[in-house]
Amino acid sequence: MARKKVSILGAGNVGATAAYYIAEKVIADIVMVDVAEGSTRAKALDFLHAGPMRDYDVAIVGSGDVAAIADSDVVVITAGMPRKPGMDRMDLLKVNADVVKGVSRKIAEHAPNAVVIVVTNPLDVMCHVALRTTGFDLRRVMGMAGILDATRLRYFVADAVGCSLADVDAIVLGGHGDQMVPLPRFTTVAGIPITKLMDPATIGKLVDRTRKGGAEIVSYLKSGSAYYAPAAAVAEMVEAVVTDRKHLAPCAAYLRGEYGIENLFIGVPVVLGRNGVERIVELDLSKEEHRQLSASAEVVRQGVAELDTFFTLK
Amino acid sequence: MKRVGIIGSGNVGANTAFFIAENRTAHVTLVDIRQGLSTGKALDMMEAGPIRGYGSRLTGADDITAISGHDVVVLAAGRVRKPGENRIDLYLDNSKIVTQLCARIRELAPYAVVINVVEPVDSLTLLAQETLGFHRFKVLGVGGNLDGTRLRYLVSQAVGVSPREVSGLVIGPHRHSMLALKDTIRVSGVPAVFFLGEERLNALIEEMRGAGDTILEMAQHSTSYWAPSAATARLVHALVVDTRTVMSVSVRLEGEYGVTGLCVSVPAVIGIDGVQRIVDAGLSDSEQTAFLAATAELRAVVEQEKARLVAR
Repeated sequence: MARKKVSILGAGNVGATAAYYIAEKVIADIVMVDVAEGSTRAKALDFLHAGPMRDYDVAIVGSGDVAAIADSDVVVITAGMPRKPGMDRMDLLKVNADVVKGVSRKIAEHAPNAVVIVVTNPLDVMCHVALRTTGFDLRRVMGMAGILDATRLRYFVADAVGCSLADVDAIVLGGHGDQMVPLPRFTTVAGIPITKLMDPATIGKLVDRTRKGGAEIVSYLKSGSAYYAPAAAVAEMVEAVVTDRKHLAPCAAYLRGEYGIENLFIGVPVVLGRNGVERIVELDLSKEEHRQLSASAEVVRQGVAELDTFFTLK
Repeated sequence: MKRVGIIGSGNVGANTAFFIAENRTAHVTLVDIRQGLSTGKALDMMEAGPIRGYGSRLTGADDITAISGHDVVVLAAGRVRKPGENRIDLYLDNSKIVTQLCARIRELAPYAVVINVVEPVDSLTLLAQETLGFHRFKVLGVGGNLDGTRLRYLVSQAVGVSPREVSGLVIGPHRHSMLALKDTIRVSGVPAVFFLGEERLNALIEEMRGAGDTILEMAQHSTSYWAPSAATARLVHALVVDTRTVMSVSVRLEGEYGVTGLCVSVPAVIGIDGVQRIVDAGLSDSEQTAFLAATAELRAVVEQEKARLVAR
């Protein structure tokens, strides 16, 4: 029985930090691939040097060659450009669609049985690129977004209540971005919905801060964006797949009629296990929640329409 | 690192020490009047330490003075219930031990938070608090979080998800009349009833109610101790690390949830000082009625126990 293998395409801050969190879990060998081969090999070696103190007896490899991902159980796509000042949405979409298409081809070639986790933005649209290019089963391609948005909301709630972080659960639906749909009635402290613990104004503030969670970090950093929480969210998804945990969490998954949404990637609660998205959980939403989710889906659909103006599999 | 004294090195006491060592969060002193038992078990665990990477020191002693100045003291002495036994006989035997131990703890570890695991837990937590004379928020009983972990396990298996992500509060007496708060039984925030339906969830709650008895019957000569030890160690962890974890513990109520002068389990924020505050879980009318009925029944039992104690 071979050890599981997780590959991360793109060894920038998110990719490398995700590799670190996964190494600490001691659940799989790790391969990081990046066009910046030297720094990627250096990062892998630096992690290995820390191993004797941190007890992770796993192989960690840095490479410039995508062939190193051969037979991976999970492949994470973090490669792509961040949005630069002055760059418009469409430019970013074109650049990253090209990157994700390129690596997805390689995934199909070298790791045909992998579960693919997309992190590159614009997230929901990039999931479409990965799915179309790999031609994988729908359940083996997913995007990381909802877990990140939910962990931010969970932190804000724990901080406001004055309780342990581990006590708080949350569900956030929708596309990754301003249109996300945090659900206070499914946000709980030891199972108690926060709607019973806080007034609506306080909840409103926490929800609003969650929506702007990424931007808040960017505003402090000036250059660059968040990577610890995003990487932790990636590692959580990887762990769920590698260990077959049956983890219920919000992820971008391809919907075929669930929530009244057809043929679109969008954030919904799913059960993650060795087969990827093993189940899509269709909650009973209120009219208002449903309206917000539909509005969010509309934004994603526009992004896919933009993609369709130039995207081909050639 | 904080120091935790555990009185009673039987299955629950020793395995609580084991879980604390695995958590790497406190030094542990095990005490038992059975000569050598604590030293033997502590030594055995410490010899596993190099393999398990323990940073805690575990020591054993035959004399209770070894817990002097400790930050947390766990009462895990006394005897366990026999199959089919009337709880009042258990109370009469164990109350004597709890009273004697608490008189010593009061002088040896006057600033400790005391955790009672000795059954019947609610009655004896109250007795411990009265004997110690400590603030009520520093004397806690293991009840609701043990019932809760059993329920959470059962629900996770029925839904087909990891036990880690199931929440569920069980409050009230640690007796058959315990009350599972259905709206808090959730999977990553999603109500479990959504997956299981009302009827199946109710069946799981009934199964949880009988969980202790089920193990007692299966194991014949032994009560359950892994889940009780884990529940105790979780409480110790929240105390010594000051995690502010919300968990259901038995604590003397003085008006909260409409009850006065009784120890029963309610959700509370647990931190370095014991119960930091009691959390109002927002019970429905029918839950509040059931809770009051269960506590009234417990009050009658406690009064009967106390009368028997005086008569003896």
